Amino acid sequence: MKTTEQLTDSMFNIMAALTKPRHGYAIMSLVEERTHGVITIGPASMYTIIKKLLKQEWIYLYDGSEPRRKTYLLTEKGKEVLEADVKLRKLMIQLAETGLREAEE
Amino acid sequence: MSKTKYVMSGGLAFSENKDMEKLRKLSLKGWHVRDFKFMGYTLEKGESADYIYSVDYRTVNEEDAEEYFDFFTSSGWTHVTSQGNIHLFRALPGTKPIYSDRETVVEKHDNLGSSLKWFTISIVTIILLLCLGTFISTGALQTTITYIAVILSVIAIPATWTVLTIYKNKWKAEGRIGLVRFMKSLPALFLILGFTIILFITDDSGSIVGILTSMLIGAVALPLAIWCFMSLYYKWKA
Repeated sequence: MKTTEQLTDSMFNIMAALTKPRHGYAIMSLVEERTHGVITIGPASMYTIIKKLLKQEWIYLYDGSEPRRKTYLLTEKGKEVLEADVKLRKLMIQLAETGLREAEE
Repeated sequence: MSKTKYVMSGGLAFSENKDMEKLRKLSLKGWHVRDFKFMGYTLEKGESADYIYSVDYRTVNEEDAEEYFDFFTSSGWTHVTSQGNIHLFRALPGTKPIYSDRETVVEKHDNLGSSLKWFTISIVTIILLLCLGTFISTGALQTTITYIAVILSVIAIPATWTVLTIYKNKWKAEGRIGLVRFMKSLPALFLILGFTIILFITDDSGSIVGILTSMLIGAVALPLAIWCFMSLYYKWKA
């Protein structure tokens, strides 16, 4: 898969939570907490994306000793993909903010 | 002693939302789902409660099962029952949906359709090959091939119908309106095609095409008749 393709919002949020080892529930609570409840991730979406990120090797199984609460962490490749996507999203925000400022003038 | 009863499913590929809405209404009346049963659900009588229901399609390995179900429990969804790769959950109203973005909803439809898709493609291919076979064979062999093709069609038609419906749902989730419209018009197209064929071949009823056509019509009518009978039967029983 191309790394230039933009991440979906949910993938982006989950990867952003996996800069430290976390299990699924911790990811869901962290995203909800840090976005003040604006963004939530459903369990079925969560599971789908974890499987996908593992397959892409953007995250890896960090600790599987407790089957109910497996923890995951970004791989080097995953970190690069996330950083590239952050750059892209920053550009998008700049684009919109500049546009909105123009409209106010 | 617990009282149980059975309700029909409309077929999850065809009426997932309607099914889930129906289960909610039944829960309000005190009838809660306990299990999947042939073409429907077993319900158990209990206290009336307002539960919302959701279904997920996924092949879960044994070593992943605990984690998978824990995701749901943590999000407020109780696992009701599973059958094969279909998993049913319930929660209190206001619980966040199990799918929170469009991209993963699209994959959900893929999960439902994936196994059936290959089964259908292979069976349709075999039928097409058999049809070719009837052109190059004669006598008893030709008749045998025709009958095999017809019998396989009885399985292939409902299977194709289901796969097409799943893909329609998928395209709907992806927002591909054109494809969805095309799919919606398919049944009508098939009906028109069917009637045209009947009109043209009624005077030639002994031909292979004649047998094939009447069997194809039978293949559509038979499941429909079973479905009508089953729903009437269970309505009458309830």
